[in-house]
Amino acid sequence: METTKPGLSDYLEFNKYRAINLLHIGRMAAKHGPFDLLRDLKRYPWIWDLLKVNSLLKRLLVGRSGNYRTAVAMVIGGVVDGVIELLEGIFYRSDRLILHEDLLPPEIFRAMGLQPWVPELLGILLPMIVPDAMQKYLDAAENEGIPPDICSLPRATIGMAMKNAFPNALAVVSSNLPCDGGMSSYTVIAQQMKKPAYWVDIPFDFKSERALDYFAGELKDMISWLEKHTPGRMDWDRLKEICEKRNAMAELELDIWDMIRHRPAPMAAEAVWMSHLWCFNVNPGYEASIKLLADLKSLTEKNLAAGVSAVPREKYRALLWNPPTLHYIDLMVWAERTYGVSLILDSMSFNRQSFIDTSSPDSLLKSLGSIIMQGPMARHTRGPAEANYFPDIFHMVKHFDLDMVWVAGHIGCKNTQAMSGVLREKCREAGIPLLVIDYDLMDSRITPKEGIQEQVGNFMENIMKARRLDQ
Amino acid sequence: MDTDKWFSKLLEDPGNDLVRKAMDEGQIPIGYSCSYVPDVMLSVDGLFPVRMRAPGVAGTELADNYLSSVICSYTRSLLEFGLDGRYDFLQGWVFAASCDHLRRLYDNLEYLRRPGFSRILDVPHKTGKAAIDWYTEELQLLAKSLTDHFGCNLGAAALTKAIREHNAFNAILKAIGEHRRSDHPSITGTEYHRLVIAAGASPKKTLIPILEKIREDLPTRAPLPPYRARLLFVGGHLDDPGYIGIIESEGGLVVGDRLCTGSYPGLQPIPETGDPVAALAKYYLTKTSCPRMMEAFNERAEDIVSLAREYRADGVVIQIMKFCDTWGVEAASFFSHIREAGIPVLRLERDYRLGGEGQLRTRIQAFIESMGK
Repeated sequence: METTKPGLSDYLEFNKYRAINLLHIGRMAAKHGPFDLLRDLKRYPWIWDLLKVNSLLKRLLVGRSGNYRTAVAMVIGGVVDGVIELLEGIFYRSDRLILHEDLLPPEIFRAMGLQPWVPELLGILLPMIVPDAMQKYLDAAENEGIPPDICSLPRATIGMAMKNAFPNALAVVSSNLPCDGGMSSYTVIAQQMKKPAYWVDIPFDFKSERALDYFAGELKDMISWLEKHTPGRMDWDRLKEICEKRNAMAELELDIWDMIRHRPAPMAAEAVWMSHLWCFNVNPGYEASIKLLADLKSLTEKNLAAGVSAVPREKYRALLWNPPTLHYIDLMVWAERTYGVSLILDSMSFNRQSFIDTSSPDSLLKSLGSIIMQGPMARHTRGPAEANYFPDIFHMVKHFDLDMVWVAGHIGCKNTQAMSGVLREKCREAGIPLLVIDYDLMDSRITPKEGIQEQVGNFMENIMKARRLDQ
Repeated sequence: MDTDKWFSKLLEDPGNDLVRKAMDEGQIPIGYSCSYVPDVMLSVDGLFPVRMRAPGVAGTELADNYLSSVICSYTRSLLEFGLDGRYDFLQGWVFAASCDHLRRLYDNLEYLRRPGFSRILDVPHKTGKAAIDWYTEELQLLAKSLTDHFGCNLGAAALTKAIREHNAFNAILKAIGEHRRSDHPSITGTEYHRLVIAAGASPKKTLIPILEKIREDLPTRAPLPPYRARLLFVGGHLDDPGYIGIIESEGGLVVGDRLCTGSYPGLQPIPETGDPVAALAKYYLTKTSCPRMMEAFNERAEDIVSLAREYRADGVVIQIMKFCDTWGVEAASFFSHIREAGIPVLRLERDYRLGGEGQLRTRIQAFIESMGK
């Protein structure tokens, strides 16, 4: 398979997407007006960090070329477009604004005519753009007595609530996902916001029909509660339409996943995981999400047909387990160039969910319920690990022809930390090289990017016997 | 007999003399954790429950290899004991999927040291009708699996009898604990906690005579020497009375507790009428009051304030196990809530294994002094 090096067209492509992002931002600024924009920049100082998105674009395109480069740029562009729409929700539709925990289904809120805002979203996006963006929020939470060992995502989210960084929503909706830290954080967030709150309960052993019935009942109760506490009203036809579009997205993604099984892979890394994160977790059922996935599929097909590898000199194919290293989001850019590592798929994207049955309101709720319960960071934190945790890892390794498993061993993720010992033994038995990266998801003071590079380098050179490509 | 020494000895080993004696008599010990597991269901027809503890655990080096060092030290200590074979006398165990730490402990035990019988209960995070119905079904499934495995009878009559015995036993413990309310208590928090923990660590029937004797003797016992402050002791799992002992040795008498392993809310009676499984489901789901339950922060916080007033506590001590996410986050909010109610409050972070005694003493001394006592 051929590989490509960045050329003039790649340079032009980068500038094209940089200009597109600036255009989106400029359009938002023009629509909002200078006075309101300045007021909101003061009210929400994190917008400043979001505006630096082109620095992320630059870091993620380094050394990448051709359709792969275009795909990554397109995904970032899609996120920028979507974030602006969410910001406009804060600016113009605050009378319908609700805050919801990141694993709850935005499809339902949108079908109710509500404007959802995910508090954790900033904790995910900001450190990708500005690596130390969340440190002040982490410190704020710790100063108020939140233990430093709680996962830094809910901790930073609590810190944001304490610093009054969230929009003034009508209500807060949360759940017991994905972990105890996440669940507990909403007690504090609801208190800080002084808003009515509702919690959805997801069973531990989620695979039975009994669990599905229980959870569908929880979703029904959530809808009734929202109808009581907000102007939102459930429009089942609208929900059906959103879910049909989500099904279309899932079909496109499955096609991409089929193609990346090919060795070397025609698409990789952020083009695969970031598109999933954005399209399925934040923007499901949107035309923009369908278009983005269709475009990604098309670029992947082109690479496959032309025999072009996404990662030049793909030598190793990796599975990333756990959320990506947010404060060092360009880890894979470095790993691609240094060792020829191609990140094929990750635990946050991979799922074996069925399509949504749109035949009735009940089937819609049950299908959405199933998707949530079986979603990333849900199935892997509940149900016996023997049934849900290890089988997914070993299935992915086999199905996608992977050479190694990288666990982004975020120190605050106790669910993952507590399985590392058994995983190590199981990987050894199966002959699969395993790397557990010790670091914190968004606090580079725990392990800076150089520390992450060192761990990866030691693993690649000592275990994989890899030679650096840049020497 | 020196009852203090006798009870202390019982707490030294999970397989204590009373447990061994019951096993020699043909009874079957079943381990369990945490308070959401209905120990009553493990007290039926030849079974007896043993609350899982790791007394005197020296370190958790083996367990840390599996669970890592960022998991709560209670679960790490249990795994260490499990790997050491200290629970080999148990013929099974039942865990509650109550928090990430216990869930992962169960996953690791299943892989490393699975006994003949093991089960994890899917405990809802809410207490409404749907949740209680769910938990009722969960307990029905537990009853079936116990019956299938051990051939024991967990029918309605047997369970109702077990509930009655449980209530009768708890009534004795509760009556002893009530003596702490007095202006001049005759029992320390340390001694009382030792009795409560022993009740979970031994076959209950064997303790009844000695507990009744203590109850009878207490009214005539001399009051304790003067103390500096009355304290309400709040937190999650604590099974080492020595911790309270250190606090009391500094003059802070623990007159009331609100612990997962304590007297409140654990000793409230279970309804003895109606479907026993449904009664157990409702009781265990609603009484434990752990921060892992969603939607109930205000009730929990108010409960602490009310208890402090009821026991005329000068201050509240909240102790949390390091790395416990639910207590860790909620304790921060409890702290503000209690302080706003005008009650002095101290928050302590600890490991399962008793350590840092000097620091603890200093914190307690400073707290008592800050109250002007």
